[in-house]
Amino acid sequence: MSALRRSPALLMLPACLLVTGCLLLPIAYLIGLSFNPPVVGEVELTTTLTLRNYARLLDWFYASVLLKTLWVSIVTTAISAVLGIALALSLWRTPAQWRGLLVVVVLAPLLVSIVARTFGWMLLLGDAGIINNALIGLGVIREPLHMMFTQGAVIVGLVHVFLPFMVLSVLAAFDRIDPAIPEAADTLGAGPFTIFWQVILPLLNPGVAAGVTIVFSLAMSSYVTPALMGGSSAGVLTTLVYQQLVVTYDWHFGAALVAVLLATTLVILGSVLYANAVRTARWMGRR
Amino acid sequence: MIGLMQRVSFRSLIIGSYIFLLAPLICVVVVSFNAEPVQQFPPRSWSLRWYAHALQLESFRNGAVISFALAVAAGLLATPIGVLAAIGLHRSHWRGKSALEAIFLAPLIVPGIVTGISLLIALAALDVREAPLRLLLGHTVAILPYSIRTVLASLARLDPALEEAAETLGASGLRSFRYILLPLIRPGILAGLVFGLILSFDDVSVSLFLVDARTTTLPLAIMSYLEYSFDPSIAAISSMLIAVTLGLAVLLERSFGLKRLLAG
Repeated sequence: MSALRRSPALLMLPACLLVTGCLLLPIAYLIGLSFNPPVVGEVELTTTLTLRNYARLLDWFYASVLLKTLWVSIVTTAISAVLGIALALSLWRTPAQWRGLLVVVVLAPLLVSIVARTFGWMLLLGDAGIINNALIGLGVIREPLHMMFTQGAVIVGLVHVFLPFMVLSVLAAFDRIDPAIPEAADTLGAGPFTIFWQVILPLLNPGVAAGVTIVFSLAMSSYVTPALMGGSSAGVLTTLVYQQLVVTYDWHFGAALVAVLLATTLVILGSVLYANAVRTARWMGRR
Repeated sequence: MIGLMQRVSFRSLIIGSYIFLLAPLICVVVVSFNAEPVQQFPPRSWSLRWYAHALQLESFRNGAVISFALAVAAGLLATPIGVLAAIGLHRSHWRGKSALEAIFLAPLIVPGIVTGISLLIALAALDVREAPLRLLLGHTVAILPYSIRTVLASLARLDPALEEAAETLGASGLRSFRYILLPLIRPGILAGLVFGLILSFDDVSVSLFLVDARTTTLPLAIMSYLEYSFDPSIAAISSMLIAVTLGLAVLLERSFGLKRLLAG
């Protein structure tokens, strides 16, 4: 143990081996495979390099799936950002004795199985679902509204699943705001509207940026919600990958799709973090 | 007047958001007590028959056993590895530290579905096709970051003087670890373990490509059941999952703080 005390590197060795062996090397292998010519059922890496798997993405069908995935993720992120900021703002202003309970109410759904939560939306939005039954019962509509198996249903389900992440990130930014700052703005005669837009929102930037990246990358890579709520027409990248790997056994094209998914996630993540760093630097410079 | 309208519309947005967050969960629980085979809300008559039905379904029972065994095995494997890594990170002060930290947190950044597919393909290339082993490796690597983060959070609150005092008083490294460090970081270790158990038990994205026809986890068994039938037994099994996870959520909130746990 005293030897371990002097060399913390040894303590980290098992974790390093686990992450490298079970995550980083497999990802490298998968990327390598995506540059090999497609042979059905073959997973050996060969030295023949090709871009054929990626060229298939130019096909309109596959390009449209990619665009649809991006669109669904962007809308999900935007709605989550608005609702998340509002919820975090109200939690921040809630008296301390209630805040703990409400934070748990917002965050606890995160721990509930995603399958159970998606099933709840299927109950609500189905043609014979709770919302349609209620509206027909009240005489608002005669024919059931077709909500399930649409892109809108997928977005509703995704916002529900990922909204707590946004609240969590924005709340962390709220916790860092000195309460004297909005008070000072108030003393100087700014109205609540001005205080929110001019004072609080800029201070929330890092939290919103963190939340946006988390929600966007989770939305891009979500499978359960689009698979259960999207139906066949609302195919996204992950359901396409599932089809390629499990149904048609085209592992090389599947690997290319996964590589695109990973690259998009990392690029978005990197650029939001970079933009945020630049904005912060400029803001610090202005002072 | 404008201020009042703003306040009212803000209030309704907030109340709407809470309804939005809770409605699906409440609907699932209410429908699970429905006596009829059709999904009806609110139910006309109540019964526990769908709970009995869900508990008798072969695929749910097998799935629950596999998911439980998998969660426990992955948790017990990831926790010691994570604890050691966190202590190592806490104690090292060299430059490569942030690179190592990034590697340890990589499973958080990489989407679960990518983790699962990469592992499937790499193991297939090595001719390893046993689903239980694939699942164990995938789940262990996926929950490792949570164990590292919770222990790191506990270590950060630690007074370094305590360990130094133990050493000055002649405690060996092992004794000081056993009697000083371990009791102090125990809440972090337990929070990481419980959170890891929940994540592993509920996981779909990592498992999706690692299961096979004989070895399927409970969430995936529920998903495939949903594909061909829509009776309230899904609501019953989901309600049981909701009850268990909410119980654990309260436990985590009391012991470690949910906000701290999730934000890291």
